[in-house]
Formats: sequence, C-alpha cells, structure tokens
Amino acid sequence: MDNREIVVSNLSKRYGEFHAVREVSFRVRSGEVFGFLGPNGAGKSTTVSMLTTLVLPSDGTATVGGFDIRSQPGEVRQIAGVALQEIGLDPFMKAPELLLLQAQLFGLRRSHAHDRVAELLSLVKLNDPQTLKRPVGKYSGGMRRRLDLALALIHRPQVLFLDEPTTGLDPASRRDIWAEVRRLNQELGMTIFLTTQYLEEADALADRIAIINKGQIAVEGTPAQLKGQLGAESINITFQSTEDAQQALGVLADLSVTPPQHTDSMLRLYVQQAAAMLPTVVARLQDAGIAVDALTLTQPTLDDVFLEVTGQRLTVREEGAKEETTLHSTVA
Amino acid sequence: MAIAIATHNNAIPRASFGWQFWLLTGRFLKTVLRNPGAALPSLLISIFTLLIYQESFGTAATFIPGLAGNNYTAFVLPLSLLSVALTSAVTAGAVIVSDISTGYFDKLLLTPVSRTALLLSVMFVGSVLIAAELALIMLLGVLLGVNPPTGLLGALAVIGIAVLVGNALAGLGVGIALLTGSPAATQSTSLLFFPLTQLTAAFTPLELLGDTLRAIAQVNPATYVLKAMRTILLEGWGDTTSIMTGVLVALVLCAVTFMFALVSLRIRTGRK
Repeated sequence: MDNREIVVSNLSKRYGEFHAVREVSFRVRSGEVFGFLGPNGAGKSTTVSMLTTLVLPSDGTATVGGFDIRSQPGEVRQIAGVALQEIGLDPFMKAPELLLLQAQLFGLRRSHAHDRVAELLSLVKLNDPQTLKRPVGKYSGGMRRRLDLALALIHRPQVLFLDEPTTGLDPASRRDIWAEVRRLNQELGMTIFLTTQYLEEADALADRIAIINKGQIAVEGTPAQLKGQLGAESINITFQSTEDAQQALGVLADLSVTPPQHTDSMLRLYVQQAAAMLPTVVARLQDAGIAVDALTLTQPTLDDVFLEVTGQRLTVREEGAKEETTLHSTVA
Repeated sequence: MAIAIATHNNAIPRASFGWQFWLLTGRFLKTVLRNPGAALPSLLISIFTLLIYQESFGTAATFIPGLAGNNYTAFVLPLSLLSVALTSAVTAGAVIVSDISTGYFDKLLLTPVSRTALLLSVMFVGSVLIAAELALIMLLGVLLGVNPPTGLLGALAVIGIAVLVGNALAGLGVGIALLTGSPAATQSTSLLFFPLTQLTAAFTPLELLGDTLRAIAQVNPATYVLKAMRTILLEGWGDTTSIMTGVLVALVLCAVTFMFALVSLRIRTGRK
C-alpha cells in the first residue's frame, strides 16, 4: 500500500522577526482531499512552499508520502505534483513541448512521455490542433491554468498540491477543474492538498478543512463539523443604517445561539430553526420601530465559519452555489 | 474525460545528468531562437561598426607606426569580435531572469532536475549563440580582406578566445540574474562592454596610447585578449607568450565568473 499521507508537526517559518507560519500541525490521510483556507497573508502559500521543498522550514517537521521534506527533498519532488498559485510557464514554448520536457525530466522514456503528453492534453482539453501550434504566451488564463495542472500530473504523482487552482477562471472552467480533482481523488486515490479562496470550492471538494489565520491553524474538521459549530441556520437582516443594525442587535441578541455577527448595516443571528423564529424577529423589530431593507434565511456556510475564526469574510463567491432564500420586505 | 492514469510511479527512473543537460539545452535554445530580438541587435551593431572602421580607418595602417604593411581591418577585427561576444553574452542571463520572473524557474526546481545541469545548459546555449555570431563577424572580416597567416585554424582559435571572454561575461550575467532576479540588474552587466573595449588598445597599438589610458589599458584584461587575437590574425603562431597570456586571462575570467554563477545558483535554490 502506498503511503500518500502528509504529516505536519509544529511546522514554522520565520523571516526575521516575522512569523509567516507558526507551529502548524495537521495530518492529511492517504486519498483525502484536504482544504487549506485562510485570508491573504495567512501562511497558506508559505506552507505549500515548505511542503513542496521550495522553502526550508525554520522549525518543525513534515513528511509527504513518508519522505521528510528537509532531508529527502528529491524523493518528495518525485512523488508530489505541484500547481502553484503563480502559473510558471515559458511563454515561448508550446504546450506539448513543455509537457514533454517535464515528463523527460521526471525520467519518463521518450515513447512513454509522448503517450503521456497526448493523454494529458486531451484530459485538460488543450488538444485542439490550432491550440497545439500556439506558444503558451498566447494562451488565455484558463488555458494556462489547465496546462499547469497537466504539468503537475505528468509524472503520476501520489500527492497533489493545488495552490488556488481555479483563481481567475470562469465558472465553467472552474467546474471542469473541480470535476477533474474529484476524479483524480476518487478514481486514482490521489491525496490532494488544496488551498483556495473560494469557500464553495472547499465545501464541494474537501473531505476535511483547516483554516489558517495569522500563521496558525484556527480550526480544523469536516465541512459539516465546522458549520455545525455555528448553529443550524442563520437569519440575515440588512438595515437602512449602521445605527439601526446596532439598535437591532440590542433587541435580538438573546435569540442567537452563538454570538450574532454585526458588520456595517447587516446583522446575522444564528438560530436552530430560522423559519420558526422569523415571526418573533419581525415582531421585535416592529415593536422597536426599526426598518428592514432585506431579510434572508441561510444555511450556515464555510464563509460563516471563516468569519467566525478570522474576523473577516472572503468576498469571492461562486454564483449560485450558496443555498439562500431572500425575503425582500419592509418591516416598519 | 475518462482516461486511465496509473499513480504508481516508483518504477520511473530518474533522468541522468547528461540527459537533463541535453533536454534543458534544447529548451533554452528554442526559447532564445524564438525570441531573436534579444540577440540580433548586438550582431547588427557589430557588423555596422566593423564596416565603419573599415571605411574610416582602412588606410590607417600606412601611417600608424607599428602597423605598416598590415591590414587595419585585421587589426580592428578582434575588437569587433570582442564587442559581439560581450554584448551577446547578456542573452544567457536574460533567459534565466525571464524564467525567474515568469515563475518557470520555480517550476523546474519542483522537478528532480540537477541544479548544475540547469546552469551548465544555459551557459552552453549562451556559448553556442556567441560562437555563431562570432563566425558571422569573422566571415565578414574575411570578405573585407582579412587573411590570417594562421589560416582556418587561426580564425577558429580567435573565435574560441572570444567565446571564452563572452562566457566570462555570461557567467557574470547569469550570476547576477540568479542573485537578484532583476532584469535591469542583469542587463547592467552589458555596461562592462564600454570600459573593456574602450579603455584598451582598441584602435592603435598599446605603445601609442597616452600615459593615462595606457596605464588603465595595462590592467584591463581585454588588452591581453586583444593582443592574443591580433597576434594570431596578423603575425602567426610565433609569439606564443602573447597568445598564451590572452588565453590564460580569458580562462581565469571564465573560471571566476562561473564560480560566481555557481554560488548565486546555490543561494537562489538553497531553500531559505
């Protein structure tokens, strides 16, 4: 049985006085998709850089597929595929040339390498004859991203690191990548370490999630476990002003099973049964004479978990992915 | 998209050092040839200046002491060769700095490729380009009447010495590219072209230079390289001291800058 685990223990990275990553520990099991979330500058990419042997940790240990990232970087590179956030491609080369070079540098024989290149070009839908003739510099962002994924897969890695693999892609291309990630994981048993700024992406793909904030793991668990920690549902109320929201907080705070969240003119209450609670909320606001612009009922999302642990929201959303019922109403 | 892909890669052998060098050389060569704008200007400038020297100073040998009876084009040809070697030497550094800025350098580092193969291949491609440009300039010199007494072997030796000097500057450029990742800093190595080719016996023998310029020229390594090349082109193999001194100077320059490039590579790829 292949070892496809990632085991991280007290991993830290310092740049002078700045702690980019501070004593991070987690374990990604063989064949698991592990989502790694965090705001910009939280330490996601630094962690990926350490695990893929580009950067040496200051402290702590980690193994990828059983190989130590400090003492066995060559072995780690041989079993790991990496698609970094910044797509690194030579703009003057063509896709088949880059793939063939990558395959041969990983030790594939020329005939096998040619077969593998054709296979991957088909997989990432870059096998159109016109596309194959163009240098990579003339590719769109989506095409470059797909080629980068193919490069990461060229040597049949056992562990795949994807650092924000769908950033900048249109929704259709993003869903193609999602489907491919699922297939690589489910059909081939590949362990996948995924960082993303799309919470829906992590929700859809990851078996387990860790949220990193200011260099430290803030929370870890399955998406259901994390969402469950916040309560079953939420009622989101948008007011006409921040002052109204402030006043409503005083009127409604006791209804929330966990501390309500208040940002600008919006208030979010966490309740067990939002629909049943709605009349009470409306009645209290009417009694207090507070006008409402919009009112929505929401199933908890990872965005809520993210806000809870980081104090900020990720603004990038996948359209249509959130289960939300909007009730535009005026309650006076 | 149902394509079977096995994930067991333990049986895949690693590419040998020589094979990696060959693969990377091919890739660097393709990149450079597909972007000829980077190498062409230096060649065109050298052709232009050689033609200008020929037209302006073609008869100078008749009145410049020490050159009587010699072909002035043969005297000034080494300067043109040195110029093209030094200016086109920037190409190797430019390729590396481009890889760093596009992120492709990191992509290569994520493969099991030998870091030394990376360096040697880009330096080799730089040498091939320099040699090709030098051959063209030498051919132009022959067309303008240069007829070295040492024949084809002499012409090749002169090109070889110029390649060594070009390699020396290429090593410096690659080293700076690896150390800084900055296109501007890498390009700045070409500024060395001016002191190396102007603060020397560029247009007349060393003895005819003014005191100050002569003193500077005597510590300028290009002086000894030019002397060796001119000896081969004008006199033959007789003055072995001048020839060997020039070759030795070029070799030392090469070794020093190659070491600098190696150290820069270790710093760049050393996991900080």
